Amino acid sequence: MKRITTLFAGICLTLSGFAQDIYSCKNTTLSFFSATPMEDIDAITSKGVSAINVKTGAVYFKVAVNTFKFKKSLMEEHFNENYLESDKYPTAEFKGKITDNIDLHKDGTYNVTVEGTLNMHGVDKVYREKATITVLGGKPTAESKFNVRLVDHKIKVPTLVVKNIAETVEVTVKANYN
Amino acid sequence: MKYIFLLLLSCTLDCYAQDDLVKMFGNDSVKTHEPVIATYKSTRIIQGHSPETLKKRELDFRVAHHFGDLGGEYGGAKTFFGMDNSSDVRIAFEYGITDRLMVGIGRTKGSGSLTQMYEGLAKYRLLRQTTDDHVPVSVSLFGNAVVSAMTSSITKSDASYFDKFSDRMSYTGQVILARKFNRNLSLTLSPTLVHRNRVVYKDVNDLFALGAGGRFKFSKRLGLLVEYFYPFRSQESKDYFAAQGRKFYNPLAVGLEIETGGHVFHVNFTNSTAILENQFIPETTTTWQQGQFRWGFNISRRFSL
Repeated sequence: MKRITTLFAGICLTLSGFAQDIYSCKNTTLSFFSATPMEDIDAITSKGVSAINVKTGAVYFKVAVNTFKFKKSLMEEHFNENYLESDKYPTAEFKGKITDNIDLHKDGTYNVTVEGTLNMHGVDKVYREKATITVLGGKPTAESKFNVRLVDHKIKVPTLVVKNIAETVEVTVKANYN
Repeated sequence: MKYIFLLLLSCTLDCYAQDDLVKMFGNDSVKTHEPVIATYKSTRIIQGHSPETLKKRELDFRVAHHFGDLGGEYGGAKTFFGMDNSSDVRIAFEYGITDRLMVGIGRTKGSGSLTQMYEGLAKYRLLRQTTDDHVPVSVSLFGNAVVSAMTSSITKSDASYFDKFSDRMSYTGQVILARKFNRNLSLTLSPTLVHRNRVVYKDVNDLFALGAGGRFKFSKRLGLLVEYFYPFRSQESKDYFAAQGRKFYNPLAVGLEIETGGHVFHVNFTNSTAILENQFIPETTTTWQQGQFRWGFNISRRFSL
Protein backbone atom coordinates (compact mmCIF):
# COMPACT_ATOMS: atom_id res chain seq x y z
CA MET A 1 0.00 0.00 0.00
CA LYS A 2 2.76 2.36 1.00
CA ARG A 3 4.57 1.55 -2.21
CA ILE A 4 1.49 2.38 -4.25
CA THR A 5 1.03 5.72 -2.49
CA THR A 6 4.66 6.62 -3.07
CA LEU A 7 4.40 5.61 -6.68
CA PHE A 8 1.20 7.56 -7.14
CA ALA A 9 2.67 10.65 -5.53
CA GLY A 10 5.70 10.25 -7.73
CA ILE A 11 3.59 10.05 -10.86
CA CYS A 12 1.57 13.07 -9.82
CA LEU A 13 4.78 15.00 -9.38
CA THR A 14 6.09 13.95 -12.74
CA LEU A 15 2.79 14.83 -14.41
CA SER A 16 2.76 18.28 -12.86
CA GLY A 17 6.36 18.59 -13.94
CA PHE A 18 5.39 17.95 -17.54
CA ALA A 19 2.45 20.31 -17.36
CA GLN A 20 4.82 23.20 -16.77
CA ASP A 21 6.47 22.50 -20.09
CA ILE A 22 3.26 22.89 -22.05
CA TYR A 23 1.65 26.25 -22.42
CA SER A 24 -1.46 27.04 -24.40
CA CYS A 25 -3.24 30.04 -25.82
CA LYS A 26 -6.92 30.00 -26.69
CA ASN A 27 -7.08 33.46 -28.20
CA THR A 28 -4.29 33.32 -30.72
CA THR A 29 -4.44 36.19 -33.18
CA LEU A 30 -3.98 35.40 -36.84
CA SER A 31 -4.21 37.92 -39.62
CA PHE A 32 -3.31 38.15 -43.26
CA PHE A 33 -2.73 40.92 -45.69
CA SER A 34 -2.35 41.19 -49.41
CA ALA A 35 -1.97 44.30 -51.51
CA THR A 36 -2.81 44.71 -55.19
CA PRO A 37 -3.29 47.81 -57.32
CA MET A 38 -7.05 47.17 -57.16
CA GLU A 39 -7.64 46.67 -53.48
CA ASP A 40 -6.06 45.60 -50.22
CA ILE A 41 -7.36 42.49 -48.61
CA ASP A 42 -6.93 42.00 -44.91
CA ALA A 43 -8.64 39.83 -42.37
CA ILE A 44 -8.13 38.99 -38.74
CA THR A 45 -9.25 36.47 -36.16
CA SER A 46 -8.41 36.11 -32.49
CA LYS A 47 -10.11 32.75 -32.18
CA GLY A 48 -7.13 30.60 -33.08
CA VAL A 49 -5.68 28.15 -30.60
CA SER A 50 -2.05 27.34 -30.01
CA ALA A 51 0.17 25.31 -27.74
CA ILE A 52 3.89 25.17 -27.14
CA ASN A 53 6.05 22.64 -25.35
CA VAL A 54 9.02 24.61 -24.10
CA LYS A 55 10.95 21.44 -23.32
CA THR A 56 10.68 19.75 -26.71
CA GLY A 57 10.12 22.88 -28.79
CA ALA A 58 6.96 21.50 -30.35
CA VAL A 59 4.46 24.13 -31.46
CA TYR A 60 0.90 23.81 -32.66
CA PHE A 61 -1.59 26.23 -34.20
CA LYS A 62 -5.17 25.69 -35.28
CA VAL A 63 -7.82 28.08 -36.51
CA ALA A 64 -11.38 27.77 -37.82
CA VAL A 65 -11.23 29.37 -41.25
CA ASN A 66 -14.69 30.90 -40.97
CA THR A 67 -13.70 32.99 -37.95
CA PHE A 68 -11.65 35.39 -40.08
CA LYS A 69 -13.32 38.79 -40.23
CA PHE A 70 -12.99 41.07 -43.26
CA LYS A 71 -13.83 44.72 -43.70
CA LYS A 72 -15.99 43.88 -46.70
CA SER A 73 -18.58 41.25 -45.90
CA LEU A 74 -18.80 40.08 -49.49
CA MET A 75 -15.07 39.38 -49.42
CA GLU A 76 -15.61 37.27 -46.33
CA GLU A 77 -18.28 35.25 -48.11
CA HIS A 78 -16.09 34.76 -51.17
CA PHE A 79 -13.12 33.84 -48.98
CA ASN A 80 -15.14 31.08 -47.33
CA GLU A 81 -17.13 29.94 -50.31
CA ASN A 82 -14.79 30.25 -53.28
CA TYR A 83 -11.22 30.34 -52.04
CA LEU A 84 -10.71 28.52 -48.75
CA GLU A 85 -13.90 26.45 -49.13
CA SER A 86 -14.41 26.40 -45.39
CA ASP A 87 -17.34 24.00 -45.61
CA LYS A 88 -15.00 21.34 -47.00
CA TYR A 89 -11.88 22.37 -45.12
CA PRO A 90 -13.07 24.02 -41.88
CA THR A 91 -9.70 24.46 -40.20
CA ALA A 92 -6.12 25.42 -40.94
CA GLU A 93 -3.51 23.70 -38.80
CA PHE A 94 0.19 24.00 -38.22
CA LYS A 95 2.33 21.37 -36.52
CA GLY A 96 5.94 22.29 -36.05
CA LYS A 97 9.06 22.33 -33.99
CA ILE A 98 11.59 24.94 -32.96
CA THR A 99 14.83 23.86 -34.59
CA ASP A 100 17.15 25.97 -32.42
CA ASN A 101 18.62 24.55 -29.26
CA ILE A 102 17.51 27.05 -26.65
CA ASP A 103 16.14 26.91 -23.13
CA LEU A 104 12.71 28.50 -23.08
CA HIS A 105 12.43 28.08 -19.32
CA LYS A 106 14.60 31.17 -18.97
CA ASP A 107 13.27 34.70 -19.47
CA GLY A 108 14.46 36.51 -22.56
CA THR A 109 13.79 37.19 -26.21
CA TYR A 110 14.75 34.51 -28.68
CA ASN A 111 14.83 34.64 -32.45
CA VAL A 112 14.12 31.11 -33.54
CA THR A 113 13.36 29.11 -36.63
CA VAL A 114 10.26 26.97 -36.71
CA GLU A 115 9.87 24.12 -39.11
CA GLY A 116 6.65 22.30 -39.69
CA THR A 117 3.68 21.47 -41.82
CA LEU A 118 0.83 23.83 -42.52
CA ASN A 119 -2.40 22.20 -43.58
CA MET A 120 -4.65 24.72 -45.26
CA HIS A 121 -7.40 24.19 -47.84
CA GLY A 122 -6.72 20.49 -47.36
CA VAL A 123 -3.17 20.79 -48.69
CA ASP A 124 -0.01 20.17 -46.63
CA LYS A 125 3.09 22.22 -47.13
CA VAL A 126 6.32 22.33 -45.16
CA TYR A 127 7.37 25.77 -43.97
CA ARG A 128 10.61 26.93 -42.37
CA GLU A 129 10.00 30.37 -40.92
CA LYS A 130 11.49 32.84 -38.45
CA ALA A 131 9.69 33.55 -35.21
CA THR A 132 10.28 35.56 -32.09
CA ILE A 133 9.63 34.04 -28.71
CA THR A 134 9.66 36.21 -25.61
CA VAL A 135 9.63 34.57 -22.23
CA LEU A 136 8.59 36.79 -19.36
CA GLY A 137 8.07 35.44 -15.88
CA GLY A 138 8.32 31.97 -17.34
CA LYS A 139 5.43 32.54 -19.74
CA PRO A 140 6.22 32.55 -23.44
CA THR A 141 4.81 34.80 -26.16
CA ALA A 142 5.30 33.89 -29.81
CA GLU A 143 5.12 36.04 -32.89
CA SER A 144 5.79 35.27 -36.52
CA LYS A 145 5.25 36.75 -39.94
CA PHE A 146 5.54 34.68 -43.08
CA ASN A 147 4.34 34.48 -46.65
CA VAL A 148 1.91 31.96 -48.04
CA ARG A 149 1.63 31.44 -51.77
CA LEU A 150 -1.92 30.62 -52.79
CA VAL A 151 -0.83 28.09 -55.42
CA ASP A 152 1.02 26.08 -52.76
CA HIS A 153 -2.33 25.30 -51.16
CA LYS A 154 -4.23 24.86 -54.41
CA ILE A 155 -6.26 28.03 -53.90
CA LYS A 156 -7.33 29.02 -57.37
CA VAL A 157 -7.95 32.61 -58.37
CA PRO A 158 -10.02 32.99 -61.55
CA THR A 159 -8.38 35.04 -64.30
CA LEU A 160 -11.20 37.57 -64.13
CA VAL A 161 -10.27 38.74 -60.63
CA VAL A 162 -6.58 37.97 -60.81
CA LYS A 163 -5.78 41.69 -60.56
CA ASN A 164 -7.68 41.98 -57.28
CA ILE A 165 -6.02 39.13 -55.47
CA ALA A 166 -2.31 38.82 -54.83
CA GLU A 167 -0.45 35.56 -55.42
CA THR A 168 1.18 35.78 -52.02
CA VAL A 169 -0.38 36.81 -48.74
CA GLU A 170 1.49 37.84 -45.63
CA VAL A 171 0.34 35.98 -42.54
CA THR A 172 0.93 37.24 -39.01
CA VAL A 173 0.49 35.05 -35.93
CA LYS A 174 0.64 36.09 -32.32
CA ALA A 175 0.10 33.94 -29.24
CA ASN A 176 0.33 34.82 -25.56
CA TYR A 177 0.70 31.54 -23.75
CA ASN A 178 -0.25 30.75 -20.22
CA MET B 1 0.84 -3.51 -10.50
CA LYS B 2 3.59 -3.68 -13.03
CA TYR B 3 1.09 -3.20 -15.81
CA ILE B 4 -0.38 -0.10 -14.22
CA PHE B 5 3.09 1.31 -13.87
CA LEU B 6 3.90 0.57 -17.51
CA LEU B 7 0.63 2.04 -18.61
CA LEU B 8 1.24 5.23 -16.67
CA LEU B 9 4.79 5.38 -17.92
CA SER B 10 3.65 5.12 -21.49
CA CYS B 11 1.11 7.85 -20.85
CA THR B 12 3.75 10.17 -19.46
CA LEU B 13 6.03 9.45 -22.40
CA ASP B 14 3.20 10.44 -24.71
CA CYS B 15 3.39 13.96 -23.34
CA TYR B 16 6.43 14.57 -25.47
CA ALA B 17 4.70 13.70 -28.69
CA GLN B 18 3.43 16.41 -31.00
CA ASP B 19 0.01 14.83 -30.99
CA ASP B 20 -0.41 15.76 -27.38
CA LEU B 21 -0.50 19.43 -28.30
CA VAL B 22 -3.01 18.58 -31.01
CA LYS B 23 -5.27 16.74 -28.58
CA MET B 24 -5.27 19.62 -26.10
CA PHE B 25 -7.98 21.43 -28.03
CA GLY B 26 -10.03 18.65 -29.53
CA ASN B 27 -12.56 20.27 -31.78
CA ASP B 28 -12.87 23.34 -29.59
CA SER B 29 -11.67 25.68 -32.25
CA VAL B 30 -14.41 24.74 -34.68
CA LYS B 31 -17.43 26.69 -33.58
CA THR B 32 -20.80 25.00 -33.52
CA HIS B 33 -24.11 26.52 -34.65
CA GLU B 34 -22.28 28.36 -37.41
CA PRO B 35 -24.68 29.88 -39.92
CA VAL B 36 -24.67 28.38 -43.39
CA ILE B 37 -23.36 30.92 -45.84
CA ALA B 38 -24.33 31.60 -49.44
CA THR B 39 -27.51 29.56 -49.79
CA TYR B 40 -27.85 31.79 -52.82
CA LYS B 41 -25.33 34.26 -54.14
CA SER B 42 -27.86 37.02 -54.50
CA THR B 43 -30.90 38.43 -52.71
CA ARG B 44 -33.03 37.11 -55.59
CA ILE B 45 -33.39 33.60 -56.94
CA ILE B 46 -34.53 34.83 -60.35
CA GLN B 47 -37.38 37.28 -59.94
CA GLY B 48 -38.51 36.21 -56.52
CA HIS B 49 -36.56 36.68 -53.32
CA SER B 50 -33.99 34.32 -51.90
CA PRO B 51 -33.47 34.13 -48.12
CA GLU B 52 -30.29 36.17 -48.45
CA THR B 53 -30.14 39.73 -47.20
CA LEU B 54 -27.44 42.34 -47.65
CA LYS B 55 -24.88 42.68 -44.91
CA LYS B 56 -24.75 45.73 -42.70
CA ARG B 57 -23.76 48.92 -44.57
CA GLU B 58 -23.82 47.21 -47.93
CA LEU B 59 -25.41 48.90 -50.92
CA ASP B 60 -26.70 46.83 -53.81
CA PHE B 61 -27.36 48.49 -57.15
CA ARG B 62 -29.67 46.30 -59.19
CA VAL B 63 -30.85 46.34 -62.76
CA ALA B 64 -33.35 43.80 -64.03
CA HIS B 65 -34.56 43.57 -67.56
CA HIS B 66 -37.10 41.45 -69.39
CA PHE B 67 -37.08 41.51 -73.18
CA GLY B 68 -40.03 40.82 -75.47
CA ASP B 69 -41.44 37.45 -76.52
CA LEU B 70 -38.76 35.22 -78.02
CA GLY B 71 -41.20 33.39 -80.25
CA GLY B 72 -44.86 33.52 -81.15
CA GLU B 73 -46.67 36.46 -82.65
CA TYR B 74 -44.34 39.16 -81.32
CA GLY B 75 -41.09 37.26 -81.44
CA GLY B 76 -38.94 35.73 -84.12
CA ALA B 77 -36.48 37.41 -86.43
CA LYS B 78 -38.56 40.55 -86.94
CA THR B 79 -38.03 41.63 -83.31
CA PHE B 80 -34.65 39.88 -83.16
CA PHE B 81 -36.20 37.28 -80.86
CA GLY B 82 -37.69 39.85 -78.55
CA MET B 83 -34.51 41.89 -78.15
CA ASP B 84 -36.13 44.92 -79.81
CA ASN B 85 -38.73 45.11 -77.08
CA SER B 86 -38.45 45.50 -73.38
CA SER B 87 -41.42 44.19 -71.52
CA ASP B 88 -40.19 45.30 -68.10
CA VAL B 89 -37.23 47.11 -66.55
CA ARG B 90 -36.37 47.61 -62.90
CA ILE B 91 -33.69 49.81 -61.39
CA ALA B 92 -33.23 49.70 -57.65
CA PHE B 93 -31.01 50.56 -54.73
CA GLU B 94 -31.08 48.24 -51.77
CA TYR B 95 -29.25 48.64 -48.48
CA GLY B 96 -28.39 46.54 -45.48
CA ILE B 97 -29.29 48.28 -42.22
CA THR B 98 -28.14 45.34 -40.12
CA ASP B 99 -26.87 41.90 -41.09
CA ARG B 100 -30.47 40.74 -40.88
CA LEU B 101 -32.50 43.68 -42.17
CA MET B 102 -32.38 45.20 -45.61
CA VAL B 103 -34.51 47.86 -47.25
CA GLY B 104 -34.76 49.09 -50.81
CA ILE B 105 -36.37 51.47 -53.22
CA GLY B 106 -36.97 50.70 -56.87
CA ARG B 107 -38.54 51.98 -60.02
CA THR B 108 -40.08 49.47 -62.37
CA LYS B 109 -41.58 50.15 -65.74
CA GLY B 110 -44.42 47.78 -64.95
CA SER B 111 -45.99 45.21 -67.17
CA GLY B 112 -49.66 44.36 -66.93
CA SER B 113 -52.53 46.64 -66.15
CA LEU B 114 -50.40 49.18 -64.27
CA THR B 115 -47.14 50.91 -65.16
CA GLN B 116 -44.72 53.43 -63.61
CA MET B 117 -44.24 51.45 -60.43
CA TYR B 118 -42.40 52.83 -57.39
CA GLU B 119 -41.51 50.22 -54.84
CA GLY B 120 -40.41 50.28 -51.25
CA LEU B 121 -39.28 46.94 -49.80
CA ALA B 122 -37.93 45.35 -46.66
CA LYS B 123 -36.60 41.91 -45.96
CA TYR B 124 -35.79 40.48 -42.56
CA ARG B 125 -33.77 37.37 -41.93
CA LEU B 126 -35.57 35.66 -39.10
CA LEU B 127 -33.62 32.40 -38.89
CA ARG B 128 -30.40 31.17 -40.41
CA GLN B 129 -29.75 27.55 -41.16
CA THR B 130 -26.75 26.32 -39.18
CA THR B 131 -24.01 23.97 -40.32
CA ASP B 132 -24.78 21.48 -37.53
CA ASP B 133 -28.53 21.49 -38.38
CA HIS B 134 -29.38 22.97 -35.01
CA VAL B 135 -31.55 25.20 -37.20
CA PRO B 136 -32.39 23.14 -40.29
CA VAL B 137 -33.83 25.91 -42.49
CA SER B 138 -33.37 29.59 -43.14
CA VAL B 139 -36.45 31.75 -42.79
CA SER B 140 -36.73 35.27 -44.15
CA LEU B 141 -39.68 37.63 -44.32
CA PHE B 142 -40.19 39.91 -47.28
CA GLY B 143 -42.69 42.69 -47.84
CA ASN B 144 -43.11 45.48 -50.31
CA ALA B 145 -45.47 48.33 -51.08
CA VAL B 146 -45.83 49.50 -54.65
CA VAL B 147 -47.48 52.61 -55.99
CA SER B 148 -48.28 53.27 -59.63
CA ALA B 149 -47.65 56.79 -60.84
CA MET B 150 -49.46 56.39 -64.14
CA THR B 151 -52.25 58.68 -65.24
CA SER B 152 -55.62 57.33 -64.22
CA SER B 153 -57.75 55.79 -66.92
CA ILE B 154 -61.07 57.47 -67.66
CA THR B 155 -62.84 54.13 -68.05
CA LYS B 156 -64.27 53.19 -64.66
CA SER B 157 -63.99 49.44 -65.21
CA ASP B 158 -60.23 49.54 -65.85
CA ALA B 159 -57.72 48.39 -63.25
CA SER B 160 -55.91 51.66 -63.88
CA TYR B 161 -58.92 53.81 -63.02
CA PHE B 162 -57.90 55.43 -59.76
CA ASP B 163 -60.75 56.86 -57.77
CA LYS B 164 -58.49 57.62 -54.84
CA PHE B 165 -54.76 57.43 -54.15
CA SER B 166 -54.92 54.08 -52.38
CA ASP B 167 -56.23 52.51 -55.61
CA ARG B 168 -52.69 52.87 -56.92
CA MET B 169 -51.22 50.67 -54.19
CA SER B 170 -50.41 46.99 -54.10
CA TYR B 171 -48.47 44.87 -51.61
CA THR B 172 -46.60 41.60 -51.40
CA GLY B 173 -45.92 39.65 -48.23
CA GLN B 174 -43.77 36.56 -48.34
CA VAL B 175 -42.23 33.98 -46.05
CA ILE B 176 -39.10 32.48 -47.57
CA LEU B 177 -38.13 29.04 -46.32
CA ALA B 178 -34.85 27.74 -47.65
CA ARG B 179 -32.39 25.00 -47.08
CA LYS B 180 -28.92 24.54 -48.48
CA PHE B 181 -28.72 20.76 -48.76
CA ASN B 182 -25.09 20.74 -49.76
CA ARG B 183 -22.62 23.07 -51.40
CA ASN B 184 -24.36 22.58 -54.74
CA LEU B 185 -28.04 22.30 -53.97
CA SER B 186 -30.32 24.87 -52.35
CA LEU B 187 -34.13 24.73 -52.36
CA THR B 188 -36.71 27.30 -51.39
CA LEU B 189 -40.44 27.42 -50.67
CA SER B 190 -42.13 30.81 -50.51
CA PRO B 191 -45.75 31.14 -49.41
CA THR B 192 -46.79 34.51 -50.79
CA LEU B 193 -49.71 36.90 -50.51
CA VAL B 194 -50.25 39.60 -53.10
CA HIS B 195 -52.77 42.26 -52.22
CA ARG B 196 -53.94 44.77 -54.81
CA ASN B 197 -56.21 47.54 -53.59
CA ARG B 198 -57.93 47.87 -56.93
CA VAL B 199 -58.74 45.04 -59.30
CA VAL B 200 -61.15 44.63 -62.17
CA TYR B 201 -64.46 42.75 -61.99
CA LYS B 202 -64.03 39.08 -60.99
CA ASP B 203 -60.37 39.56 -60.20
CA VAL B 204 -59.22 38.99 -56.62
CA ASN B 205 -57.79 41.57 -54.22
CA ASP B 206 -55.93 38.98 -52.18
CA LEU B 207 -54.15 36.26 -54.06
CA PHE B 208 -52.22 33.53 -52.31
CA ALA B 209 -49.42 31.84 -54.17
CA LEU B 210 -46.78 29.26 -53.41
CA GLY B 211 -43.37 29.84 -54.85
CA ALA B 212 -40.78 27.11 -55.26
CA GLY B 213 -37.23 27.71 -56.35
CA GLY B 214 -33.82 26.20 -56.32
CA ARG B 215 -30.24 26.41 -57.35
CA PHE B 216 -27.91 23.74 -58.55
CA LYS B 217 -24.30 24.82 -58.77
CA PHE B 218 -22.27 22.97 -61.31
CA SER B 219 -19.08 24.89 -60.70
CA LYS B 220 -17.81 27.33 -58.09
CA ARG B 221 -19.14 30.30 -59.98
CA LEU B 222 -21.90 28.93 -62.17
CA GLY B 223 -25.31 27.84 -61.04
CA LEU B 224 -28.57 26.76 -62.62
CA LEU B 225 -31.65 28.44 -61.16
CA VAL B 226 -35.30 27.45 -61.36
CA GLU B 227 -38.26 29.34 -59.99
CA TYR B 228 -41.98 28.64 -60.17
CA PHE B 229 -45.04 30.30 -58.66
CA TYR B 230 -48.41 28.65 -58.27
CA PRO B 231 -51.13 31.26 -57.63
CA PHE B 232 -54.29 29.95 -55.94
CA ARG B 233 -56.73 31.87 -58.08
CA SER B 234 -60.32 30.65 -57.85
CA GLN B 235 -61.60 28.56 -60.71
CA GLU B 236 -64.50 30.98 -61.14
CA SER B 237 -62.12 33.87 -61.67
CA LYS B 238 -59.93 31.83 -64.02
CA ASP B 239 -62.95 30.78 -66.11
CA TYR B 240 -64.31 34.29 -66.30
CA PHE B 241 -61.03 35.72 -67.65
CA ALA B 242 -60.45 32.73 -69.94
CA ALA B 243 -63.88 33.38 -71.50
CA GLN B 244 -62.72 36.93 -72.20
CA GLY B 245 -59.58 35.60 -73.90
CA ARG B 246 -57.30 36.39 -70.96
CA LYS B 247 -55.98 33.09 -69.73
CA PHE B 248 -53.63 33.11 -66.73
CA TYR B 249 -50.46 31.06 -66.61
CA ASN B 250 -48.12 30.22 -63.78
CA PRO B 251 -44.77 31.97 -63.97
CA LEU B 252 -41.86 29.62 -64.57
CA ALA B 253 -38.32 30.89 -64.91
CA VAL B 254 -35.00 29.18 -65.49
CA GLY B 255 -31.73 30.99 -65.21
CA LEU B 256 -28.00 30.85 -65.07
CA GLU B 257 -26.12 32.49 -62.20
CA ILE B 258 -22.64 33.78 -62.87
CA GLU B 259 -20.55 35.24 -60.07
CA THR B 260 -17.55 37.40 -60.86
CA GLY B 261 -16.20 38.87 -57.64
CA GLY B 262 -18.45 41.79 -56.70
CA HIS B 263 -20.96 41.21 -59.49
CA VAL B 264 -23.65 38.60 -59.71
CA PHE B 265 -25.07 38.24 -63.17
CA HIS B 266 -28.25 36.32 -63.92
CA VAL B 267 -29.33 35.37 -67.39
CA ASN B 268 -32.80 33.92 -67.38
CA PHE B 269 -35.74 32.82 -69.43
CA THR B 270 -39.26 33.29 -68.17
CA ASN B 271 -42.83 33.37 -69.45
CA SER B 272 -43.80 36.30 -67.22
CA THR B 273 -43.43 39.75 -68.66
CA ALA B 274 -43.39 41.60 -65.34
CA ILE B 275 -40.55 41.75 -62.82
CA LEU B 276 -42.43 42.71 -59.64
CA GLU B 277 -44.17 40.01 -57.59
CA ASN B 278 -47.19 42.32 -57.41
CA GLN B 279 -47.63 41.85 -61.16
CA PHE B 280 -46.06 38.60 -62.30
CA ILE B 281 -47.88 36.47 -59.73
CA PRO B 282 -51.44 37.67 -60.47
CA GLU B 283 -51.11 38.88 -64.03
CA THR B 284 -49.02 36.50 -66.13
CA THR B 285 -50.97 35.80 -69.29
CA THR B 286 -48.10 34.63 -71.45
CA THR B 287 -47.07 31.01 -71.81
CA TRP B 288 -43.97 29.03 -72.66
CA GLN B 289 -45.99 26.84 -74.99
CA GLN B 290 -46.65 29.64 -77.47
CA GLY B 291 -43.14 31.00 -77.56
CA GLN B 292 -44.18 33.72 -75.14
CA PHE B 293 -41.08 33.52 -73.06
CA ARG B 294 -38.29 35.98 -73.01
CA TRP B 295 -34.78 36.27 -71.92
CA GLY B 296 -33.95 38.63 -69.17
CA PHE B 297 -31.09 39.52 -66.89
CA ASN B 298 -30.40 40.70 -63.37
CA ILE B 299 -27.25 42.59 -62.59
CA SER B 300 -26.30 43.12 -58.99
CA ARG B 301 -23.33 45.23 -57.94
CA ARG B 302 -22.63 45.35 -54.24
CA PHE B 303 -20.67 48.10 -52.52
CA SER B 304 -19.44 48.12 -48.94
CA LEU B 305 -20.03 51.60 -47.57
